Formats: sequence, C-alpha cells, structure tokens
Amino acid sequence: MAIMRMGYAHVRVTDLAEARQHYTQTLGLNEVAAADNKVYFKGWDEWDHHSVVLEEGGVGLVKFGFKAQYADDLADIENKAQAFGATTERISKGEELEVGEILRIHTPSGHLFDVYHDITSGQSDVGNVNPEAFPRDLRGIGAPALDHALITAEDVGQMERFLHDVFGYWTAEKVATSLDPADQHNIAIWMTASNQIHQLAVLEGPQSKLHHFAFRLEEGWEITRAADLFAMDDVPIDIGPTRHGITRGKTVYFFDPAGNRNEVFAGGYYSYPDRPMVTWTPDALGKAIFYHARELNERFTTVLT
Amino acid sequence: MTTVTVHPTGEVVEVRDGETIMGAFYRTGYAMRIGCKRGGCGFCKIDVHEGDFVYERPVSDEVVTPEEAAQGVCLPCRAVPSQDMVVEFRENSLRLVNPLMRYMLSGKESSAHQPRTRVPV
Ligand code: FES
Repeated sequence: MAIMRMGYAHVRVTDLAEARQHYTQTLGLNEVAAADNKVYFKGWDEWDHHSVVLEEGGVGLVKFGFKAQYADDLADIENKAQAFGATTERISKGEELEVGEILRIHTPSGHLFDVYHDITSGQSDVGNVNPEAFPRDLRGIGAPALDHALITAEDVGQMERFLHDVFGYWTAEKVATSLDPADQHNIAIWMTASNQIHQLAVLEGPQSKLHHFAFRLEEGWEITRAADLFAMDDVPIDIGPTRHGITRGKTVYFFDPAGNRNEVFAGGYYSYPDRPMVTWTPDALGKAIFYHARELNERFTTVLT
Repeated sequence: MTTVTVHPTGEVVEVRDGETIMGAFYRTGYAMRIGCKRGGCGFCKIDVHEGDFVYERPVSDEVVTPEEAAQGVCLPCRAVPSQDMVVEFRENSLRLVNPLMRYMLSGKESSAHQPRTRVPV
C-alpha cells in the first residue's frame, strides 16, 4: 500500500481568530502550533503532528497532504505522476512545519497534493498504553480525526484514472451516465485505498475548487449532537443530519467562519479492493447524495470555495 | 435602523442596527439564494444601486473582486447597511416564503409584545 490516508487539509480563512474558535471549540480539535499566519490542529485520535492547517487570507483550499506508508513510495508515486503527465516538485524537509520531504503534485484537476512519509509523530490524546475510549475533557463535538474530502474537477474520468494510476486508489462508488463502462461519463467518484469507504471524492465542476473536507465521528447520534452544537454556536448548517445513499454514511454539512464547507461523517460500510463497485445513475443522484430528502439542494452542487 | 428597498419590485425591509441584509430579509419572511452565509462562496451576490454598507467581517478579494466591488456588487450575508439602500437581487433569487413573518417587522414586533394593561374594575 502506498497512500495510507489523507493526512492534512490546508485551507485559507478570512479571519484566523474566528476560525480558530470554530475548529477548537466547536469541532474540538487541538491547536498544536502557530507560525507565521498559520495555525495547525489535530484531532484527539490522531498521532501525526497535524491534520488541519488554517492560513489567514482569502478562502478555499491551499492543498491536501497524503501520507505514504514507506519513504520509497515518494519516488514511485513521482514516477507514476510524471508518467501520467502531471507536474511534480520536491519540497525539502522543514519547509512544511514538522513534515519531511514532500512530493508535491499538481493534479489534472488543478489541485495541489503533497505526498510525504515523514511527519513528526506522537501519540493520540488517550495514549498508546491501556488507553481510555476517549479523552474525558473533549470540547464541542470532539472530532477524533480528519476523514476525507470532496473536490471538483472538469474531467472526473481523468481524475479517476489519475488517482488509480498514481495513488493506487480504487473506485468504491460512482455516479455515471450509463451502466455500460464502455459508454460511461463519470459525474462523480468516491475513491479509496483502504477499508475506509472513501478517502477522496471528485465531483464534476470547476477546476481546483474545494467542496468540503470532513471529520470522522463514530456513531449516528454523534452526528445529531454535532448538529445541536452547530445550532448553539451559530454555525450555518448546509444540510442534515441525514444519511448518504452513497457510502451509507451519516452526515451533517456545515460552513466554517470563512465559508469553507465542512462535514461530520459517521459509519459507512467497509471497502475492499475486490468489492464490486457501486454505480448510481443520474436519475437517482438525489437519493444517492441525500438518502432521506432524495433531492439535491441547489447549494450542494454549486457552492464551492 | 436603516431600510433596504428591492429594485424593481419595491419591497422595503427594515434592517436593525448591526444586522446583515440577509438577516433582515430572513427575519421578515423572505428566502434568498444563499450558500455559506459566511462571505466565502459568492453565491449570494446582489447589486447595490444606492446607499452604502460595511462588511461585518473581512471579505476575500477572490470572492468579490475589486472590479465587482467598484460596480456595487455586495454579499448580503456579510453586508450591514450604513445608510438606506436600494439593491437588486439576481435571477429572481428573492421570494417571500412566509407572509406571517411580515408581522415581525421590527416596529410592529415590539408593540405586539407589549403586555396588555389590565382595565381596573
Ligand atoms: S452566501 Fe456565501 S458569500 Fe454569501
């Protein structure tokens, strides 16, 4: 396995103080460092140095980090990315806080993906020896970890090939115009390289845009409780609590203080490389995305940062 | 207190001090095309014909470009009127969805909540 998981989301925010409040007090992440105009956070069940970077100035995505299992994976992924025709660069150790050497890929979708193996590692907040189930002083929703993200791209089929060829991802689910693979136009894909049902999803839309990045919760009731906390904290909810037809995960979408969409996601089934891919047809797109309402709101496919 | 008048339909909504244009329309029963409500997505853009406003939070140049701002484009989810305004919504994005909430226009709302004085017998 080369790519293990999405390691970090680096986004821009208009007001760092407000964003800090949202990510620490409402989402319950821990602030681990602040340098220049950036603040770094991690969830209580993450052991790498950080999983969220907020940078003051503007809104939207700067880049995503993906953690590779072995140091050698970087050269291998670099070759594959170049063979695919993507531009790559190497960023030396120390240029990104607490991160070792980085392979930076300019993806066909216009996004920046950092692939790295080394990042300062510690232990999660419950420790590695006889750990409790969760830290008893959690704040807000107490999100344990970053989970996945959804980006937009003009050519979803091209991104599917890129993520397959370069990252070793397989497609768990897709929305396609036809059930015949020979005559298929992909509208959206959900891809992974592990049992996690999706690590990255791509929806047809403008290049280089962020739809959302999501935090993991364990149980469905935590999703409802998160929505209650969003109401208390005046966080605009986009949709939910509801369930996805795709992945079967339970969800609430909401916006951070700069207008970047976040999600909390719980459940979903296990993915395996040999599990037959699920295909949704465009007429069922509403049910696929929002299983209960069975229709898409206008915002969901058009509001991006 | 300021007012926002909608061009060309002529609806007038009173905006409380410190309230955003979006907040005032929502409070009074209207629905408008809205995205993040945070000034980040540009989905709510409207055109300002008259009057002025301030943003309650910084708004990114990437969301409203300086050229758009110079032309009077405004994000009602973040804009607080500093004087009476005339604005125009795009693509019929403004709809009155809850006529009952019209009674919550600020002046009438406070009188509706006055306790009734008992008439002594
Ligand atoms: S709703 Fe997103 S900028 Fe106003």
